[in-house]
Parts: sequence; C-alpha cells; structure tokens
Amino acid sequence: MVSTRYAVRSVGRNVRRTILSVVGIGVGCALAVFMESMNRGRDELFARAAASSGIGHVRVVPRGWRERRDVRARLADWQHDRDVARSTPGVASTTIRSRTQALVAMGTHVVPVELVGVDPATEPSTFRFVREITHGRYLRPGEHGTVVLGQSIADRLRAGLDDDILATAVGPRGSIESAMLRVVGIVATGSEDADLAVCQVAIEDVTKLTGLKGAGEVVVMAGDWRAADAIRDALTQRLTGGDEAMTWGELAPEFKGHNEQDKAAARFVRAIILLIVLLGVASAQLAAVLERRREFAVLSALGMRAGTMVVLVLQEAAALGLAGAVVALAIALPVVWQFARTGLDLRSAYGSSNFTFSGAFMEPVFYGDFGVWIVPWVVALAVGATMLASLYPAWFAARTDPAVALRVAQ
Amino acid sequence: MMWCRPLAVVALAIIGMASIPPVPPAPDVDALLRHLDDLYRSKSSIARIEIQVINPRTTRSLRLKAWTRGEEHSLIVIEAPPREAGTATLRVEDNLWNYLPRIARTIRVPPSAMLGSWMGTDFTNDDLVHESSMRRDFASRVDRRSDAPAGWWLRLDVKPDIVGRWARIDVLVSDDDLPVEERFYDRKGRLARTMTFDEVRPLGGRRMPVHLTLVPADVDGQRTEMRYLEAQFDVALPEDTFSLSRLEQNR
Amino acid sequence: MTTLRIAWRNLWRNPRRTALALAAIGLSVGLVLAYDAMLRAVGDWMVETITGPLLGHVQVHAADWRKDRAMDRTLRRAGALCDAIARDPDVGSVTARVYAPALAALSDEGFAVMVIGVDRARETGAARLLAPDAPAIEGKRVLMGRALAETMNAHAGATIAIVGQGADGSLANDLYTVAGLIETPMDLVNRQGVIMALGEAQALFSMDDEAHEIVIHARDAARVDAVAARLAALPILEGADVLDWKRLQPEMVSMLGVVEMAWLLILVLVFVAAAAGVANTMLMATFERTREFGMLLALGLRPTRIVAMIVAESVALGAVGAAAGAALGIALVAATHDSGVDFATLTGQGTSAISAMGIRWSLRMYPSLAAVDLVGAVGAVVMTSMLASAWPALRVGRLQPARALRS
Repeated sequence: MVSTRYAVRSVGRNVRRTILSVVGIGVGCALAVFMESMNRGRDELFARAAASSGIGHVRVVPRGWRERRDVRARLADWQHDRDVARSTPGVASTTIRSRTQALVAMGTHVVPVELVGVDPATEPSTFRFVREITHGRYLRPGEHGTVVLGQSIADRLRAGLDDDILATAVGPRGSIESAMLRVVGIVATGSEDADLAVCQVAIEDVTKLTGLKGAGEVVVMAGDWRAADAIRDALTQRLTGGDEAMTWGELAPEFKGHNEQDKAAARFVRAIILLIVLLGVASAQLAAVLERRREFAVLSALGMRAGTMVVLVLQEAAALGLAGAVVALAIALPVVWQFARTGLDLRSAYGSSNFTFSGAFMEPVFYGDFGVWIVPWVVALAVGATMLASLYPAWFAARTDPAVALRVAQ
Repeated sequence: MMWCRPLAVVALAIIGMASIPPVPPAPDVDALLRHLDDLYRSKSSIARIEIQVINPRTTRSLRLKAWTRGEEHSLIVIEAPPREAGTATLRVEDNLWNYLPRIARTIRVPPSAMLGSWMGTDFTNDDLVHESSMRRDFASRVDRRSDAPAGWWLRLDVKPDIVGRWARIDVLVSDDDLPVEERFYDRKGRLARTMTFDEVRPLGGRRMPVHLTLVPADVDGQRTEMRYLEAQFDVALPEDTFSLSRLEQNR
Repeated sequence: MTTLRIAWRNLWRNPRRTALALAAIGLSVGLVLAYDAMLRAVGDWMVETITGPLLGHVQVHAADWRKDRAMDRTLRRAGALCDAIARDPDVGSVTARVYAPALAALSDEGFAVMVIGVDRARETGAARLLAPDAPAIEGKRVLMGRALAETMNAHAGATIAIVGQGADGSLANDLYTVAGLIETPMDLVNRQGVIMALGEAQALFSMDDEAHEIVIHARDAARVDAVAARLAALPILEGADVLDWKRLQPEMVSMLGVVEMAWLLILVLVFVAAAAGVANTMLMATFERTREFGMLLALGLRPTRIVAMIVAESVALGAVGAAAGAALGIALVAATHDSGVDFATLTGQGTSAISAMGIRWSLRMYPSLAAVDLVGAVGAVVMTSMLASAWPALRVGRLQPARALRS
C-alpha cells in the first residue's frame, strides 16, 4: 500500500523526530506500568497486614464461630482439617491454635488475657510478633507449662523471665481450674494493645486447663495471597462436621474495608495515569503533525486521497506505538521485576527507629506487582494511546487545503 | 513463768532452732496448721459479717448474712446499705446466681465472670473457692519466737508442683494458737499482701479473731476489712436453704 | 523586554501549535493537581475510617485507667472538662463516654457485656459510632451489638437486665428495653456492646458528672499532634492521660504509613510523567521549527537572541499553561471539597458505600489542596518546559542556515 511505504520512509526521513516520539511514548508507558505495578502492590499490603497479625490468609473455624466468635469453640475434627489444608495446592504453611479467656496472676496483680495455645513449631510463620522475642526465647515444641507474654502483661503483673505465674480459666463443666506457667519469653511489640494479645502456651496446656479437646482454629498461609479465595473454596468442599473456612477479608472486615476503599481510589488513579500518558503522547503527535502541514499539503496536491492520509497517519502511529512499547518494556520490565522481588524498605525511608512502625503488624516493605499482565498492558497502552492521540491530527492532516497550506510561510 | 526445759530441748532438737530466752513449748506445726485451716471452716454455718473496702478514691461498707454448707454451698444476702439490701448470691457447686430485688430478677453468673475479684474486694477467687490448705500445700517449720505479741512465727514454703499464687507465707500464731498475722509472698519472693487478725472474742462457741484486715503490699491506701458480728457453726440447716426458690423469697 | 514581547507574539503567530502546547501543559498540571487532591482525600478518608467510629483523634482518660479499666478511675467534672476542651479552636467535637463491664440477661442466663454510655447527639454521623438512622437511645432504651444479640437470642423490643458494679463499688442493676441492634466496624461493640445514653449510664453506675473517656475530633486531621499537645497542657486536664490516636493504635499507623508511602511514590511518578509529556511536546514543537530558525539566522539574527527567544517562549508557555491548569485544579477541588466526590459512581461501582460483612464503608471522599501542591506542580512544569526547549535551543547556535532552510 502506498501509505505503508510512505509511512516507513517517513520514519527514516526524520530520524530525530521518530526517535523523540518513540522515546517519549516509551518513557511515558514505562512510567505508567510502574505506577500500575504499585497500584496493584497496595492490594498486597492489606492482605499482608491482616495475615501476619495472626489472622492468616485463610482460617478453618468451628460451626457458628462466624457469628458468635466464641473463643472456646472447638473444631469438629481438627486433624482432618489440618490434613486437608496441608494437601490443598497453594498452601505455604499451616498452624493450629486453641484459645480461652483466662486470668493470669502474680501475687495480687491480675490481668485478664486471652490464653492462646499454639504449636510452637509452626506458629512463627503466621504471627509476626513471635518471630523476634525481645527477652528470653520462644516456646519449644513438646514443652509444657511455659508461656510467652507481651511486655504490657509482664509489666502489669510485675513479672519477668523465669517467673511462675498462675493462670486461671473455666474448666470442664464450669469449674475453675488453675495452672502454673513459667515465663520463658517476653515480647515487646511497641503497642500496648498488641502486647495484650500475646499470651502463648503449648496447646496441650490450654486443653488441660479447659478440658476442651482439640484445636479451635487451623490457620493457613498461602504462597500467593491472591489465592486466598480459591483456597477457601477448595477447603470448604473437603471440610466436615460443620467446620468452615474463612478468608482474611471475612475475618478482618476492617482490613478488607480499607482495601476496598483503596481500590476505589486506585481506579481513579489508573484513569489519571492513563490520561497523563495519553496527553503526553497526543500533544507530541499533534505537534509533529502540525509541523508537517506542508508535507501533507504536497501529498494532497499530488492526489493522495483524504482517507489514505488518515490511514497513513494511523499506520505511522501504530508503528511508533509498537516501537514505544518495546522501549517501555525494556525500561520497565527489569525495574518492576526488581521492585516486586525486593520491594521498597520503608524503614530506611522513615528512619529505622521511627515510632511509626513500632507495633506494626507487618514489615514496612512495599512490593510492586509483577505478572503476565505487564506485556499486554504496555502494548495496548502504547499502541492505543498513540493511535488515539493521532486521530485528531489524522483528521486535521486530511482536511488540509493544499493551496492554503503551501502558501503559509513556515 | 513456768517452762519445761527438757521438753523445750527436745522440741528444739527436732526443729533445729537455737533460742535462748525462756520460751513456751514450741508448737507442733502440723497440728497448728490443721487448727488454722479449720478455724473459719465448719460443716455448716450461719454468720453476719461486715465488710469494708477502702481505697484512695472510695470507701464501701456492706453488712451481710451468710449461710454455708461444706465447701460447695453458700448463700449470701446483703443487709446494708439499704440501697443494696435484699441482694443475694447463691453458690451451688460451680454455679453462681445473683438475685436483684430492685428489678426482681435472678441472673446466673457465667463462669468466666467468676474469675475476677470477689465483690470488688481484695479477696481473690482462690481465697473463697479454691481449696488451698496451708497444711497440705506448704512445707512448714517454726521460724522464730515473737515476744510482742507473744507467739511463734511459722515459715511456710510452697511444695513443688503446687498450683497457687504464694511461694511463701509467714504466719504469726499467738500462744493461744490463734492467727495474728499472715504475710503472703508471691512467686518472686516479694511481699504481696498482709492479713492481720484481731479482736479475739467468743464466736459461735469458738474463740477466734473476728476482725480480719487484708492489705495489699504495693498499693497505697487500699485495704479490705471483714468483721464477724455473730456466727453459729455446725448448725442444722433446712434442706432447701440453697435453692433458687429460697433465693428469691423475702427473708 | 523586547525578547519577551517578540516571544509572546511568536507564540500567537501559530495559534494552533500554541494552543496545543497550552492545552498539554494546562491539562498536565490539572491532572497532577487532581491526583494531589485525591491523595489528600484518600489519606483523610483512611484516617477517618480508623478514627471515626470509636477511636476519635484524641482521647482523654484518668491516669492509669487504660491499664486495668477500673470502674472507679474516672474523670471528674466531665462536663467542665468537655467545655474547656471545646474552646480550643481546632477542636471539632468533644464527647464523653462511660465504659462499664457488666452482665446482661434476657431470662436468667447472664452474659458478659460492655455497657458503653454515649452522648447520642455527638456520636451520630456518617463516620461515627451511631448511624443517623439508628434507633434513639434515650432513657431506658438501649442498642445491642448484633453478634451479642444473636448470642443472647435477643431482638428489638426485648427487656434485658443489666448488672454491674458502680464507680463507688455499689451494685448497679436495672431493666432496659432493646431499641434496636447495631453493627459497627468495631468488633468489641458488635460482640459485647450495649449502647446506652450517657446520662442513663452515669446514673446507673453512680457516676455523677464523671466519665471514663473523653473523645475529641479535630477539625483538621493533619493537626492532631498539635491539638493533643495543647490539650495536654490545659490546667484543667492536669494529671489526665491525653493521647492521640496514633499512640493509641500504632498497629494501624504502620499500615497507613506504608499505604501513604505508596501513594506518594506514585505522585512522584505522576509528576515525572506529566513533565515528560510536557517535555516531549516542547521538544517536538521546537525541533519542528528548525526551518524557521534557519530563516532567522539567515536574516542576521544572532544565535543568542534566538536562544533567548525560545527560552522566553517556553517560559511564557509554561507559566500560562500551568496557571490555567492550576485554575482548573482549584476549580475542581472547590466544587467538590464540601460535598465530596462519590467514588463509587465515578468509577462505575454502583453503590456509594460498600457493605462488607454488614459493615458500611463510605466511598465518599473530600478532595483538598494545599499551597505546596500548587507551587510544586506549577514550578515543576515551568522548569520542565524551560529545560525541554533548552536542548533544541542550544542546537540553534550550531545551525547552518542553508541546511536548516532546506529541512
């Protein structure tokens, strides 16, 4: 086609203009995809905050727990549930817990707590705060009669490492049962409320105190947080006895709510990003076409039809867009990949001793999103934006009155 | 003062203490503790008690009447102040009910709510429900002689594997075998609270201190006082004393 | 000055090109400002969701109340305290609360609850504890958390007994009617909450003009730290604990901090993208005028004069375009600042709130701009357009007129 041959040759004719265009489109699209990667990365933040606060990505809970949230409820068959969870694809790790309300006391000092029976081997993978014990050590697998406390609890009890505290809970048939626990570790989260939530013992200790057999929850951490819904559905089909599976979003509606709010804003931001890219490309293209009025006038005078000129401009635009996409991918792919892998450690941005991140449920690291979506997204954006941006210039070029155009002194 | 030296020497040899001044015979600690454990207990009882809870911000006084049978049954009715008169608490084994005359309702207290302090006093649940026994749970010996008041200080150290708050209790027993003071030390060895006993009087056929004061060690201006106004021990109680229907009746 | 006049006239010799550049610059600035405004709105929004219902911006308690929540650790003369606090110009609203652990019973089965005495008028609102359409809680009518009601098998209209301990240690008990059930983002309220009128709670628990907590909302969420510091210094509040929400809930702060950082990073990129667009436009426009410059050189104009002219043109363009964009941005924000922007309809979601687990999350945001945003955007764009035309301008010096004329 004439227009295609012309397009190809016009590219070569003004190399600088072409390069400028392509680079402009490439940079713009690279920036846009980087921004989009961050946009999507924010989703991960909320999931991670919920998950590492001890909630996990998916949790198996007893029947009726969804409404009542009774900490003393127990699963119908926790071993089966855990086996099912472990054998579900996409699951990275699992752990079990059982809870009860209790009082812990030292002398006359008493603190009401939620006593959490855990499996020390797998608990740290789901609960960030027990990964680093401030004083002492964490519970050891197979150990009984020991406890890890939050700093606030230890302070209120005036207790320290190696002290024996008295735990009192409601036992079987409503009796009051007590047991001695030795403090082997103290956790300082930086937040009083978070400290009060840390009171962990071996799961057998809770069973002995309460007489409630088995585990109350199976916590599941997914390899990819986005698989949470799929894992929940897979679990639901295989669980028995009324036990149910819930995702982090259902367990912690406040995190989910923030996520939804953020998503709504993200949609708006996406629109802004796209508009900016479109604007940049459009103005550059229009400027280029405006400067070529004489050239189009000549073509028109030579007999090129308006329609052909439009196609010409659009074909040029498509080619430029494609080239721009290649440039964009070359710039963006390695950067986005690195950003998704190591993330941005905000501690250094804020200052590592900054109070902002004490008591944090999650590491203050921000990961971008990297996926198959990037290539088609960039190509569509680059080609689409350039062609869209060239519509007006194309129409403009086609409408040029050759006589008028040739007359104007450049 | 009469004292029997040979007996004292034997006692000292057994207990392994050196003491020079003339002293009464050193006590048989085991029997003494059994006596102390049983002092305020009986198979059944009816008593009228006055309680005062004093803290830096408020002072609260209650007068109540209490029926008990064994360790598992008790009925407590508040007589004063008038605002709370008629309020009753019934305990049968592990169940606890409250009757509130103002709204004419009986409410069962869930077990989790029983874990806290008793009626806002310094007494803990263990003090009232837990069957802790000084004789059973502690290894005891005579520590030293006290001259004023005249009596013996006993040292009680908790036996291993016993579940309880106290690592050590120092008990001052008068020569009449009545408690004068008890000092409770927490599991870190710190003095946590002190209980003092005075106003020894006949009560229900026994002779005992009727005024108890409990003072926590590290809180300023706080204490709980209990005074027995009258008591009958090992008294026959009607079968239906500890029933819900009785709870709701006016007495 | 002649350079500037010539520059201005040059611009309008080619109105289409100029208009295009102006539009590009103006819209870029406008979009950057729109993002800025939204960034602030999002930040305020998230803070509001966290602090709105129960937390507030600043809380006042009696010393050590937070340690054990003892009933008798109250703030005395709560009314006078609230009045004193309300006099601070940055304070939007002040209200007092009572928190009393108690037993509630429908029949004879007692359940552990938390009675929360609140001032209904001040705690009703869009992002507050009570929704505007919640049933009234005056006198003996109370609201119950939905999960609690299910546990107790209670419905609206039921009569419940409430038993607890008054602040003076006495036994508090009375009968109440459940006016309705509520669902809030606060787990505590849903599972254990019985909401009662403040005056009624004070009467029930023998708290004459006393309260456990005073909750303060500042007019401007950004000034919370200053407000907290000022209130803590008030003589009437001496001895009380005055804490801002960040210290009360550091866990949330961390999450917000990371989210905010993410938005800021994108802002930087938005800036860069806009600048790149402007640069591209200016570069393109300037390079396309090579012929024109060649002509001028041939006519005897010195290269430095041409450079000066180009730079002046681009500064003028940048300034005018940026100003137009700023005006656009300000107009948009002014139009939406008070009424807010409903993001649901804007982004095609349909409902103006999300209902997740029966809890409603508002999607209405209130954009705002600060002076620094405007200065930043305008300044950056003017700089960019100036720099972007610098490169081709500098080339002009080395142009050979004959060759330029032929291009």
